[in-house]
Amino acid sequence: MFRLKGKIEEKAFLDQVMERSGQNLLECLQCGKCSGSCPITSQTVGGPRRLIAQILNGMQEQALKDPTWWYCVSCGTCATRCPVEINMYAVSTALCEMAAEQGIEASEKGIHLFEELFLKSVEKNGRLREITTVAAFNFRMGRPFADMAIGTKMVQKGVFSPFAMLRKGHRDSRVNRIFQKIRQQQKQKA
Amino acid sequence: MKVSYYPGCSLEETAAAFDISVRKVCDHLDVSLEEVPGWACCGSSPALKMDRLLSTSLAAHNLALAQGQQVEEMVIPCPFCFRRLLSAQQETQATPETREAVQEAIEAELDDSLKVHSLLGFLRYTVGLEAISAKVQKPLQGMKVLTYYGCYLVKPASVTQYDDPEDPVSMDQLLEALGAEVLPWDFKTECCGASLAVSKSETVCELSGRIIREAAYREADALVVACQLCHANLDMRQTQIGKLHGTKYHLPIVYFTQLMGLAFGMPYKALGLGRHLTNPKEMLKSKGVLQ
Repeated sequence: MFRLKGKIEEKAFLDQVMERSGQNLLECLQCGKCSGSCPITSQTVGGPRRLIAQILNGMQEQALKDPTWWYCVSCGTCATRCPVEINMYAVSTALCEMAAEQGIEASEKGIHLFEELFLKSVEKNGRLREITTVAAFNFRMGRPFADMAIGTKMVQKGVFSPFAMLRKGHRDSRVNRIFQKIRQQQKQKA
Repeated sequence: MKVSYYPGCSLEETAAAFDISVRKVCDHLDVSLEEVPGWACCGSSPALKMDRLLSTSLAAHNLALAQGQQVEEMVIPCPFCFRRLLSAQQETQATPETREAVQEAIEAELDDSLKVHSLLGFLRYTVGLEAISAKVQKPLQGMKVLTYYGCYLVKPASVTQYDDPEDPVSMDQLLEALGAEVLPWDFKTECCGASLAVSKSETVCELSGRIIREAAYREADALVVACQLCHANLDMRQTQIGKLHGTKYHLPIVYFTQLMGLAFGMPYKALGLGRHLTNPKEMLKSKGVLQ
């Protein structure tokens, strides 16, 4: 499928994505079943078929800036329907890791920020503190009162107490250590 | 029967209603849930997106913790946690390099001894329909429900190896055993917007909106779910979705374990049913399930 054109380093990009994701993108038929099934493909989000085409054609910059893999919720629908069984969320992870390593700014800042805050909460507490993380996200996005109506109803129904935010988390040092160990491994690799 | 139980972060906080009903129903079926001691987050979608090794390691850390429990089976209510823990087991078995890197990160040896079940799969296939129907005291007769499985429980089929990814039937069979009428539809495994819940709520309103609109068209009494993230998106955003569609929806979204509890004769409040934003009380009364 890969067309032999363009620069040598562009072929290297395809190889790296395939190695990191463990997915043989050369088998892609460009049939479009994935994008037709994908819940997040839209007029502004290109979808998996187009993203694979970019990777196959060595369009590194476009692929690493493509919003598709930021939007990807790893629902697994494309992987289930793909005739050659490409797991697209494994490709999303590969692209996300590569974009971070190359210091490329996230094309979807909101999604990126939420995922970062989520992992920070886990690193610190061992478990996610949902309400605290959502509140921090809305605050950092400059919309502290977003979804206030829903939050108020949740408090009324006893889904959560606003005071729960004040209590301390679990503080699981073993989880913190896993984060550190992985950073060490990644440093050694680099 | 004793099994290892991994509730996951949401069930400890905003989805406590799911956790409460799971514990009540399992207890009633003589399934003893032993919580994984000191369990941690599975990494969920953010770790899966941002860092493959971190994602697999966090999930594997919990498998290692459960190994010390001396049980053979693990039950997970959250479909995403279920898929991540199961996937971590598969990934570390398939690739020696991954296994080595993960074991180094979590400072533990994996023994691959656990059989990881989703709660729905465990109740349907291990406990079985016979044992479940034997406990029914108040059949849910006259209730017309739609089953909504979401994505993570069944997809991708290569990981979950559970039911049919396009047209699953396990929850349908379980609810029929409780006496409910299960309506047919094509939206059983359509995506609700999942982890975009907070960061892209407009996408969630669009995707969950398609599901709610179809369920309203089918005139279902309730939409029955097996996932707390699906529940959050379909329940909490329903007013917003109604506004977008120029109408008012009132479609109760309930967990399958809550309906099991009601059919077993447990009280409404004890199952966390009072915590949903779409109040199911009137509907349950009109069907004679509640007095």
